[in-house]
Amino acid sequence: MAAIDLHDLTKAWGNFTAVKRQSLAIRDGEFMVLLGPSGCGKTTTMRMIAGLEEPTSGDILIGGQRVNDLAPRERDIAMVFQSYGLYPHMTVADNIGYPMKLRGMGRAEREAAVRAAADKVELGAFLHRKPRELSGGQRQRVALARAIIRRPRAFLMDEPLSNLDAKLRVSTRAEIKHLQHELGVTTVYVTHDQIEAMTLAHRVAVMQGGEIRQLGTPEDIYDQPADLFVAGFIGSPAMNLLAGEIQDGRFTAPGGIAVAVRVAHRGAAVLGIRPEDLRVLPPGQGDVAAAIYTVELTGEATLVTADVGGARLSARADRGFRAGIGSAIGLALDTSRLSIFDPGTTLRIKDAP
Amino acid sequence: MRAVRTALLLAVLFLILFPIAWMALTAFKRPVDLLGLSLFFTPTLDNFRTIFSHPWNIGRTLWNSTVVAALTVLIAIPAATLAAYSFSRFEMRFKTGLFFLILATQFVPAVVVVLPFYLLFRDLGLLDTHWALVIVNLAIVTPFAVWMLKGFLDAVPAESEEAALVDGATRLRVIIDIVVPMVWPGVVVTTVFCFVLTWNEFLFALILTRDDAVTLPVGITRFRTERGDLWELIAAAGILISIPMFFLSSIIQRHFVTGMTGGAVK
Ligand SMILES: Nc1ncnc2c1ncn2[C@@H]1O[C@H](COP(=O)(O)OP(=O)(O)OP(=O)(O)O)[C@@H](O)[C@H]1O
Ligand SMILES: [Mg+2]
Repeated sequence: MAAIDLHDLTKAWGNFTAVKRQSLAIRDGEFMVLLGPSGCGKTTTMRMIAGLEEPTSGDILIGGQRVNDLAPRERDIAMVFQSYGLYPHMTVADNIGYPMKLRGMGRAEREAAVRAAADKVELGAFLHRKPRELSGGQRQRVALARAIIRRPRAFLMDEPLSNLDAKLRVSTRAEIKHLQHELGVTTVYVTHDQIEAMTLAHRVAVMQGGEIRQLGTPEDIYDQPADLFVAGFIGSPAMNLLAGEIQDGRFTAPGGIAVAVRVAHRGAAVLGIRPEDLRVLPPGQGDVAAAIYTVELTGEATLVTADVGGARLSARADRGFRAGIGSAIGLALDTSRLSIFDPGTTLRIKDAP
Repeated sequence: MRAVRTALLLAVLFLILFPIAWMALTAFKRPVDLLGLSLFFTPTLDNFRTIFSHPWNIGRTLWNSTVVAALTVLIAIPAATLAAYSFSRFEMRFKTGLFFLILATQFVPAVVVVLPFYLLFRDLGLLDTHWALVIVNLAIVTPFAVWMLKGFLDAVPAESEEAALVDGATRLRVIIDIVVPMVWPGVVVTTVFCFVLTWNEFLFALILTRDDAVTLPVGITRFRTERGDLWELIAAAGILISIPMFFLSSIIQRHFVTGMTGGAVK
């Protein structure tokens, strides 16, 4: 168990910079999720922490010790690779047991450890197979078991659930969360999946183009996105973003939208509001008059896309809500949950005190 | 069209197989049957008995060939594996140049360097020893082995190795536990290739040996005596030389079929 500190970490290949002066302090025992679009440098960051990629500049500290010059095995880290990195010539049991074999654990003890790790990811029945005889999801679980058999100073998990079916994903996610809590091992976890990020993380680092755009608790990231990128990236469906302007404490946009805001800013602005903070009401009520564009049933809610003066807004309505396309509705905005962004800098504008 | 192709194939096949068939038949003929092309003769094992007994003692040369080829391969393959691995995985300065240079040592015709080698080994007191031949064969075989193995290693994705490094293995453990098993078919094929090259090496063996370390290919030349060429004995010795080749080619075949499709697992 150890804290991981990244100081101005940069990785460049030629004149392409994959990770840009990244600084991140991961606390001892923390579950840190790296979230971001494909190609934003998540895997590269992980590989530098593991010692598989040499940073172009900057420092990596594990437990306060600078590890830049240490070989991967000297860093005492367990990693789940995005493309698994299994040992094709070994059985599942030997794959999972290999780290313990390297540590000189006896055969009997090792077999017990392998079985325990395999059971955690529901692989008990496949121990004698070779990786090529497994499905993608099963292979991924072998990679996961090979990591969790260890008690390292830190876990690095690169999209460890990406190939599992929905049911297995939920149960394995819970298993990882429980294990991490139980062992208290510092964990860096990469995912594309917001639910995973929200449910697992103590803190989330949202990355784009090799830079961390926002670092905060899942609530922070969700409720107070730091810029337009984070606002648009987190949440499904995404946060509604409306371009308009602010005059005298009121935000106005085409289509008759006018709401009171609590920022000191004047002039052009972008208003952000999450679908669940928009209430669908009968026509004539609420803040804005709108027409229904589409209605989608997702099971737990009804997703309404409404047309407001040419702009589309999504709102999450009660799952019993039904209405025909084109019919008129009213929308009420929860003004306590608005986000205002500066379209020039793309940054969030804080509420005036 | 098809007929033409078949005819051509048969012609080529005949050209290749005829000498081998002739050798195989001759080895079992008595000297009186030698010059007839007839397939009907009384086969005999006398020729084999003759070459293994005094004064030919082919058993000795067979032993020499085996020792030299085995030692050469035993040293060349591990060394070449490590070298090929480094060329395949690590960045270094002048990499392309160095890699080319390794093979460039083979561009000098053997006849040109055989005399310096002779003088060298004479001064070292290694003439007519196994070690002289092993050293020379290593110089011939290792560059090819490095090139072949690098080709096989390049085709293996690095991720399993990286996983092993993170799991706690040293670089050498990774090579032994992970890399070699993954390129095993390539290692076998390269080993066989090097073995064959050494087994059939003639020029250096001819110049650097006299009595003790004479190898099979050189031993055969002794059947060309003042009394004429003893073809039936040459053929019998030729069979001895070829037997390992048949076994080795079947090994290669098996490994190419089963092995090369194995590969890594995503
Ligand atoms: N060895 C390399 N040489 C050059 N560029 C590379 C190399 N490895 C990665 N990159 C580039 O660095 C960027 C970041 O890659 P990285 O694998 O870290 O992305 P990622 O965030 O993990 O994406 P994904 O979610 O798709 O896995 C990409 O644009 C990629 O093309
Ligand atoms: Mg990645």
